[in-house]
Amino acid sequence: MSLGDQLRLLRARKGGVTPAEIETALPDLPKGLYRLAEQRYRAVGDDNSIQMLADYFGVPFEDLRWRLDWSRKALSRAFVHAIDAKLPITLHLSNGEVVSGEVKWWDLGAAEIATANGGVVVQRHAVERWEPRTPEPED
Amino acid sequence: MSENLWALREQKRLSVATLASRAGLPIGAIMEYESGTRSIDPRHLSRLARALYVEESEIRLRSDPRPAGSQLQKEEPPKEPAPTSAMDSSSPASNTRAPGMPGGRQRIARPPRVVSEPRPPAPARPSQIAHLEDLIQRLGKDRAAFEAELGRPLEELNRLEASTLLVKLQTELRNAPTPDRHRAYLPEAVDQYELNYLMAAKDHGSVLHFTLFDGSRVEGLVAGFGPYNITVRLSDGSELTLNKLAIASYRWRPGTQIPDAQEQVR
Repeated sequence: MSLGDQLRLLRARKGGVTPAEIETALPDLPKGLYRLAEQRYRAVGDDNSIQMLADYFGVPFEDLRWRLDWSRKALSRAFVHAIDAKLPITLHLSNGEVVSGEVKWWDLGAAEIATANGGVVVQRHAVERWEPRTPEPED
Repeated sequence: MSENLWALREQKRLSVATLASRAGLPIGAIMEYESGTRSIDPRHLSRLARALYVEESEIRLRSDPRPAGSQLQKEEPPKEPAPTSAMDSSSPASNTRAPGMPGGRQRIARPPRVVSEPRPPAPARPSQIAHLEDLIQRLGKDRAAFEAELGRPLEELNRLEASTLLVKLQTELRNAPTPDRHRAYLPEAVDQYELNYLMAAKDHGSVLHFTLFDGSRVEGLVAGFGPYNITVRLSDGSELTLNKLAIASYRWRPGTQIPDAQEQVR
């Protein structure tokens, strides 16, 4: 799960606090950063900001920090690569489930993976990590 | 030193109709004044002077008849008078009827127009050459080969030729297939695939198996869905709305034929 999705989930678990309430509670957080971190597909945030958010939600810093390297955009890149190279992809979901197979389609909300046991629609926010990872383009 | 009205008019390169229009007088009156049939009415003199941009004193009150063989009397009227119209009289070179004049119909000829030598076409602007070079490059053409096909270097084109060539190359570029470019891994649809999948499941009346984050499982028919939730009808007839944030994955009942959501998007 990307940092943005995780923040959204934590916000829901905290009773649905709004981004405005979080910014008010964290005056040292750069203005607008929380919304960007939650909404953007690229990785947004720095260690200081993530530390403040981890303290606010009461979760370990590392539980949020590693997600910066597994952004939504990186997952899109992996889907594209799997389709172009006709390679299977393995998705590790946050509930412990592992889904592996050919990517049939993907959009911004979900992806269908053709597994050996039939098609499975995976919610993108449920994906923690995936293989193979696709390096970022240099440009 | 006064001048005949017709001479002044011709000096100013005006037709009778134009002069009449400018002076606000009838064409027939002008014709009569020019032919010398009658003197210029003093009330009309100032109007004619203004229309011709001359002093009143420069206009002879009674014009001398044109000399024989002059343009005004060059042609005899046709035996059958041609119909005249307002359009005829508005044309500078048109035939006009002169009521009261012998013959009744005369051709008013303007002095021959001086035709200047056509100027040589201007050479192409440097900006046109630069634009052409850019287009040639963007089209993936070789400039030397392009010039060989053209028969001369780009610098030897004139402005019009360069302009025509620019339009041609721009059209060619517009119609050329778009080269592959790096996109930021955007999907073909924002959420269309999933919506089609759910729509197919709903239409098909198929049971979907949902796996939630908390490990629980839900089975039911798709009763409705939106961007953020899916409502399922459970086996006991009740409905349950699942927030997509709570869903990890879902699938059709094993063994059922699943419509291709990817095909449905296209």
